[in-house]
Amino acid sequence: MELFELTASALSEKLRRGECSSVEATQSVLSRIQATEDKVHAYVTLDGEKALAAAEETDRLRAAGESLPPLAGVPIGIKDNICTKGLRTTCSSKMLHNFVPPYNATVMEKIYANHMVVLGKLNMDEFAMGSSCETSYFGPTKNPQNLDYIPGGSSGGSAAAVAAGEAYVTLGSDTGGSIRQPSGCCGVVGLKPTYGAVSRYGLIAFASSLDQIGPLGRSVDDVAMLYDVICGHDERDATSARREYAPVYGNLDASVQGMTIGLPKEYFGEGIEEEVKTAVLAAAEELRRQGAVLKEISLPSTDYALPAYYIISSAEASSNLARYDGIKYGYRAAEFDNLIDLYETTRSEGFGREVKRRIMLGTFVLSSGYYDAYYKKAKLTQQRIAAEFDAAFADCDVILTPAAPSTAFRLGERIGDPLKMYAADLCTVPVNIAGLPAMVQPCGRAKNGLPIGLQLIGAKFSEKTLLGVGKAYETATGAFGVAAVK
Amino acid sequence: MRNEMDYEVVIGLETHAELSTATKIFCGCKNEFGGEPNSHCCPVCTGMPGTLPILNKKVVEYATRMGLALDCKINQVCKQDRKNYFYPDLPKAYQISQFDIPLCENGHLDIVVGGQTRRIGVTRIHIEEDAGKLQHEEEFGGSLVDYNRCGVPLIEIVSEPDLRSAEEAKAYLEMLKQILQYLDISDCKMQEGSIRCDVNVSVRRRGETAFGTRCEMKNVNSFSAAYRAIEFEAKRQIHILERGGTVEQETRRWDDVKGQSTVMRTKEDAQDYRYFPEPDLMTIIVTDEELQRYREEMPELPGAKYRRYTEELGLPAYDAGILVESATRARFFDECLRIGGCKPKAVSNWLLGDILKVLNELDRDIADTPLTPARLVELIKLIDAKTISNTAGKTVLDAIIAEDKDPAAIVKEKGLAQISDASALEGIVDEVLAANQKSVEDYRAGKTNALGFLMGQAMKASRGQGNPQMFRELLLKKLG
Amino acid sequence: MKDFDIQHIAKLARLKVSQEEAAQFEQEMSGIVEMVEHLPAIDGALEVSVDNAMQLREDEVRPSMEREAILANAPSQEAGCFLVPKIVE
Ligand SMILES: [Mg+2]
Ligand SMILES: [Zn+2]
Repeated sequence: MELFELTASALSEKLRRGECSSVEATQSVLSRIQATEDKVHAYVTLDGEKALAAAEETDRLRAAGESLPPLAGVPIGIKDNICTKGLRTTCSSKMLHNFVPPYNATVMEKIYANHMVVLGKLNMDEFAMGSSCETSYFGPTKNPQNLDYIPGGSSGGSAAAVAAGEAYVTLGSDTGGSIRQPSGCCGVVGLKPTYGAVSRYGLIAFASSLDQIGPLGRSVDDVAMLYDVICGHDERDATSARREYAPVYGNLDASVQGMTIGLPKEYFGEGIEEEVKTAVLAAAEELRRQGAVLKEISLPSTDYALPAYYIISSAEASSNLARYDGIKYGYRAAEFDNLIDLYETTRSEGFGREVKRRIMLGTFVLSSGYYDAYYKKAKLTQQRIAAEFDAAFADCDVILTPAAPSTAFRLGERIGDPLKMYAADLCTVPVNIAGLPAMVQPCGRAKNGLPIGLQLIGAKFSEKTLLGVGKAYETATGAFGVAAVK
Repeated sequence: MRNEMDYEVVIGLETHAELSTATKIFCGCKNEFGGEPNSHCCPVCTGMPGTLPILNKKVVEYATRMGLALDCKINQVCKQDRKNYFYPDLPKAYQISQFDIPLCENGHLDIVVGGQTRRIGVTRIHIEEDAGKLQHEEEFGGSLVDYNRCGVPLIEIVSEPDLRSAEEAKAYLEMLKQILQYLDISDCKMQEGSIRCDVNVSVRRRGETAFGTRCEMKNVNSFSAAYRAIEFEAKRQIHILERGGTVEQETRRWDDVKGQSTVMRTKEDAQDYRYFPEPDLMTIIVTDEELQRYREEMPELPGAKYRRYTEELGLPAYDAGILVESATRARFFDECLRIGGCKPKAVSNWLLGDILKVLNELDRDIADTPLTPARLVELIKLIDAKTISNTAGKTVLDAIIAEDKDPAAIVKEKGLAQISDASALEGIVDEVLAANQKSVEDYRAGKTNALGFLMGQAMKASRGQGNPQMFRELLLKKLG
Repeated sequence: MKDFDIQHIAKLARLKVSQEEAAQFEQEMSGIVEMVEHLPAIDGALEVSVDNAMQLREDEVRPSMEREAILANAPSQEAGCFLVPKIVE
């Protein structure tokens, strides 16, 4: 077994025991990248030199006898919407193709303080808007499980890198399923933390009230380790929750004995592929076998989540993306007649179609005379959806659903049909709308060999419970490991 | 043509005041006027991708204090909203402001114009961020953008359309400024743009109850400019109506140099700000305890002070008016009375007379000089006790300000104390009489003005330090 | 299909939209807007929640950033400032 194939937790253990060095692990991943990146295209910016320097530094500290945190020396990839000081951060957009942040996101400060080895920046849908990673200015990422298929999105690069062995763990961001849906597509584990559990400072905003940074990895333990690193209150983020976060990794209770697992009937209805339903229900059955109680529940407003999501997220995006005007940073049109023309030409040339579509929608729903009919209605719907989840958690410890209605689709298959594309987020969007934590992990493969993902949804700040249930399932059925990339 | 007097002018003001906090509203950058362009900036106040605002506690406190001073209802649970528009001085392309729930609403402010008190409604006070500054530079073929002012905290105070003349508008602005100074929450430096206003003006025939169409004037940067802008706009609108036209609702830009306003935007291209709740911030709470504390700490405001000075202290209206005009002056005055041992009118005379003159000459505020209330009281006491003369008192005042010393020390150092020792004075008087026999004879012959000459000689012989009253008595006695 | 004033929305958003793009946007947006119109009517106001109270920042000065860093990404700068086309109103 090559070093790059290890899980992060296994590598951590090896490094601690001195059985390999961080430089060796980093070199292994870098050569894996060299071998597969042409096919996968997970990275927008690679920084192998700095990664090796960081690895050397960690090895030196370890040799000097310093006690290092568990993920010290472990190579990680970062979604390209998280600001890295001195390292280009593009949001996979022409608009920010040359933007070099002068500061680090709070999560990056934590990553560096934990002596992790940053490999580079990962591809994504432009400004995190998309479910296939096809809207990237730098071209699509491919699914390492089958290169003809999309890796999911928007954190497609983050999921693909982990699946392909091009990183041990990665950071993604999730506004409507952007960590979980690609995790499902690529057969990896991805956690979308509770809104407020991880600082958004330095995460380039798509929809501020929904965005959340989260970890991806090849095992539940890996995800737990990285979650421990990034969570916590941050005084630079007013929406960050003031609470204590006990370490989860090493303290997971991988037992579901006596737990009630809710199966909401709305997530197993018509729009969900049979293969997906079957696999997720089989996973539920496995948990029942381990001592959990399965309970059919109902979340009646589920169908309303998607429209509410598109209104709220687009409204916020239209405002968040207004700052890209060619004056302070990023792309500026080469020719323009005056200030207004500079704005309009820069923005029309700098943004891709999907981004423009959402800016237009968001601008419309906030415009004079339409606010109540759209934005306010969507916000009221959001409150109702959250209340239904709250009620459900009075009876259930966790809720189990598919990660997405289908497995990954073919590249180009849905790019011309936004409504079809948006449907990929059907199962994940309600979670963001309600601000809850949720995790996706593989639960088998479809006949075409593509992974199927299950989603575990928990009450606010129940990450430890989710990871425990996930680990119970993973222990019984095994994780996927690195994809062959053929 | 009808007389302008046939019309009533209706004015509402939106006043922006910069708060004198140490830091900006959403980041820790210094809230400081001037400095090299873009030197008081960070990723947050320049709107860099990924940054988030954190609201400054002091901004909420200051705005709440202002709300209480204007008798507003305080919305103890409120939020901030985004006001979206594109302009190069606004790096995020939205201003974080307040929309449907302002921090303070439904207050009022009393102004006195022509001896009449008028109550002006205050619709709301909300908190928001200031924008940067644009400089139009020919040599670079474009405009330069400096974000130093970006994120300076502002309160916007919106009045009801209750003002009826340029005079009243000016009085309202003066009063707002005084209150801001009394609360010590704004520098109120007009030349630095720390108070600016937008002026809404409409006119209607006297007796009519419905409002006319209003125009908003932007870029009004001083109180006198507000006065002129209102006069101009009222005339313009009356002129239109008199010619049978209709006033169009529009936003106009005031040019104070040219003394005229020009159209900026018509109603058709009115801005659509697409306000929505700021998702990067959570709920603002002002607790009952905080409110209670601000109420307890509320200083006596200019209106109340004026009444106390005239009614309780018996000061003339003129004195009271000038004393309250400046918060530092009124504070100084009150502190003198608190120390005690001097009459209010004496303190007022000094403050409005010689002290004001010296300060004007030096172009300094009283708070920035070595003159303290304790020193002024000491000076007044020295005069009252006849230790020094009034004339010497002025010398002492100059010396306090110039040398930063206590009055007693100055009197001693400069030998300014009056001689009140009867035997010493008698000796001087005897010498003067002996040396001026001619005048003595003149006096005795009935030329009483010779006394003045002899007084002068005695003062001169004592080098100005003899007690004039005692000299006079001694001379009269000896001249018999 | 809904009637959108696409050019007006584009103006608000500072985007240039060609005739052809406008037709597409209109079609796609109406799909989403129709979804919203199927949302059930919910009475109520968007209340500001006391549960979401935020901690405010102490008024303490923190170092600003070097001007060079603030300006480093600017497409055009002069005299320590961002340079924009002359503003004519
Ligand atoms: Mg304002
Ligand atoms: Zn700042």
